[in-house]
Amino acid sequence: MISETEHYTCIACPIGCPLRLEHEGNEIKEISGHSCNRGAKYAHQEFTDPRRALSTTVTISGSLWERLPVKTTGPILKNHVMEAAREIHRLRIDAPVQVGQVLIEDFMDEKGINVVACRSMPRITLISPGHRKHPSKKRQRVSNRQYNNRKTMHKTHDQ
Amino acid sequence: MLGRMEGKYDVVVVGGGPAGMGAAIGARDSGAERVLILDRSLEAGGILMQCIHSGFGLHYFKEELSGPEYAERFLEKVIDHDVDVFTDSYVSGIAIDSDGTKGVHVMNKEKGLFTVETRSVALAMGCRERTRGAIRIPGTRPSGILTAGLAQKLVNMRGYLPGKRIAILGSGDIGLIMARRLVLEGCEVVGVFEIMPYSNGLTRNVVQCLDDFGIPLHLSTSVAFIHGRDRLEKITVAPVDQDFRPDMSRASDIECDTLLLSIGLIPENELSQRLGIRLSVVTGGPWVSSTMETSMPGLFACGNVLHVHDLVDFVTRESLLAGQFAGEWAQGVRRPKDNIGLSPGDNLRYCLPHSLSPEREHTIYMRCKEAMKPCRIRVGNLMEKKLRFVVPAEMIMLKIKPDLLEKFHGETLRIDILPAEEGKDDI
Repeated sequence: MISETEHYTCIACPIGCPLRLEHEGNEIKEISGHSCNRGAKYAHQEFTDPRRALSTTVTISGSLWERLPVKTTGPILKNHVMEAAREIHRLRIDAPVQVGQVLIEDFMDEKGINVVACRSMPRITLISPGHRKHPSKKRQRVSNRQYNNRKTMHKTHDQ
Repeated sequence: MLGRMEGKYDVVVVGGGPAGMGAAIGARDSGAERVLILDRSLEAGGILMQCIHSGFGLHYFKEELSGPEYAERFLEKVIDHDVDVFTDSYVSGIAIDSDGTKGVHVMNKEKGLFTVETRSVALAMGCRERTRGAIRIPGTRPSGILTAGLAQKLVNMRGYLPGKRIAILGSGDIGLIMARRLVLEGCEVVGVFEIMPYSNGLTRNVVQCLDDFGIPLHLSTSVAFIHGRDRLEKITVAPVDQDFRPDMSRASDIECDTLLLSIGLIPENELSQRLGIRLSVVTGGPWVSSTMETSMPGLFACGNVLHVHDLVDFVTRESLLAGQFAGEWAQGVRRPKDNIGLSPGDNLRYCLPHSLSPEREHTIYMRCKEAMKPCRIRVGNLMEKKLRFVVPAEMIMLKIKPDLLEKFHGETLRIDILPAEEGKDDI
């Protein structure tokens, strides 16, 4: 089999060593370029099972803010990140929420990885006038030109 | 006095972010009875509330938390420590009496304009983002140009997207993190442009926020012109020469509706300036002694108002210390004045605190001017230590023991970062 080379930049510390990983198929032949063990470990992990932690926000109603920060309790597969974000964005949460509250269990069919709330959001019953944003107008489709001329910001997930 | 007098406190902390919460807890731990936090936003927690990515707390809590989680843990501690917190309250000024008593002028919706009397004050106002005006980009003035931190607040807390096709100027950590955030939220990020030949953010952010999502990073490139009448339509980007002048012959236009600026942070010191506190030209923050006391007795400072930190864990450590000394000061403890000045030497932009005393152990925070590896750090004639590397993006920390300082008889201790000596072992 022909040996191939993968290039990574180490993220274990701010030096950022350029790592080279030579492999034949799925078999690792040599890791070079690292200046400590953590670099070798990182290259190994990136080649065999690259994973990333995911943090994003979801819509919440009845609270001080309009978005609730959430995260996965463990790193998920790197090439699932975009899909996972879309999946999480489908959630609609109603306040109150407690920090650490599980919103999705065994996320993306991975046992033990949950999506949890990153903060508590109490339910707001009395809102003083200054806190309230403008009552939202009925959403309507806008042409590209109107969009360009619109002075206001756009709400996420315009759909 | 301005307005009604509202209560007497030992320590009043201006700002309810990580530094303010740390200072309040430190003050209570030192024995100060009545401690108050004043914060101008609707809830305490500061910038942490919008930093939803993880990576906070690795040093302090020994686990990786998101910003809001870190803030919430501290908020619980603040409440356990019986600290009063006024949110939605704006500090408009501080008055200092001849006997050292301070009056903090506050405005809020509930009580209007009022004054809080206190013995000592901890300044923890944090920092502010540099805007377009700071780097003077030529062009029109359309909407759609905003700082990365503002975009972060809009996206992560308010639920607005600032635009659809986004360019980012400056490769600070917030800019890199926002690039990833916006892609996850469905925007298109056309590129990150950095005027320096290296990225200003941490390597892990370049890898995980840009490389993972295929966002190009253009080094030694800057935005040379902004086009658009009402809304941003396109930007002209051009590579820069050694003097950072754009080379217009190689310029190109990039269509986008939003430009995020991640071009640095400056400590927010309007209050300090009005008080006439001595400020450092380099950091933009107050000059502080080893007790984190500013040039005004009884006025302490900590966190990003002092200098911009890279990790919130360091802010917490620094502010717990500042709070402790502010609390002691309120209880009448007067420590001897520092007798050793500290000055940055070769390859150091600044070091903090600005003076030391042989009375205690100190942690010195430093930032270098340029990357060097391997290298050594030399503290006057007292000590030398090998370092594997220094980079401007990462703060250097050094502990100095009191017995070492006792051996020093000069006035100013100079710290240098020097290239490593060949063939010399650790000292």
